[in-house]
Amino acid sequence: MSLVNFTAREITCKIVYYGPGRSGKTTNLQYVYGRVPESRRGRMVSLATQTDRTLFFDFLPLDLGTISGFATRFQLYTVPGQVYYAATRKLVLQGVDGVVFVADSQSRQLAENIESLQDLHANLADEGLDPRTIPLVMQYNKRDLPTAEISMVESLEETLNFRGVPHFPAAAISGKGVFETLRSISTLVLARLSAPAVKGS
Amino acid sequence: MAKDAEKQAEEEGGEFADFLADVSKEIAQRVESLDKRATPSATPPTTEKRKAPIAADAGVIVEWPNVADRMIEEMR
Repeated sequence: MSLVNFTAREITCKIVYYGPGRSGKTTNLQYVYGRVPESRRGRMVSLATQTDRTLFFDFLPLDLGTISGFATRFQLYTVPGQVYYAATRKLVLQGVDGVVFVADSQSRQLAENIESLQDLHANLADEGLDPRTIPLVMQYNKRDLPTAEISMVESLEETLNFRGVPHFPAAAISGKGVFETLRSISTLVLARLSAPAVKGS
Repeated sequence: MAKDAEKQAEEEGGEFADFLADVSKEIAQRVESLDKRATPSATPPTTEKRKAPIAADAGVIVEWPNVADRMIEEMR
């Protein structure tokens, strides 16, 4: 994917929301969709099963307009969290510029978080991307649940965030932490515009 | 142009506007530095031209401007 194209004067960023099933990836995108003016958003595409779980992926294109002479577009994707859809996750990760890992804060979901993070690393490596350097942000979702049901942020940090990337507690259903997360991953992705790995110029 | 985007963001209001304003600032900074790299300098290099390119190592030519100059001269 071309991150920056000087010929066409375009900047395109692909951000993927990754994480275990039911962690709140689609909810993140739905909240963003609801806050973006109609003129700046494309149609949000969601392909769900009969039980309302994401079957393939969600896709939300954002047109940020012309910034510094560049037509700027963000493409937000989610992956299906269920283990069964491994092939789809690999497909969605192709050409990714940045990843938001949406972890489920519920204590009983810790193993699923770890498994999903390992899956992310394996799939990034398969795509030829270095899991240690790709822009990544952790979001600890569902902080609005009763304290007894969720892990402490410090505990999640210790278990999941060994890279020490930015992290955000969130309650995506009410929007808490959603734009903070998006802003953080966007900044990390854009910071790489000046990196030697810039493509498409 | 970044200021235009920021102004537009302010008019739109809300969380998205804040996001857009931050992203616009970031892009403006990055594009400025990238534009400098992408746009060739208008002033000619002041260093003395060599007649032949210098190979750095294993046939890698490190002075492409001189190669281009020689090609143009030979075509004349």
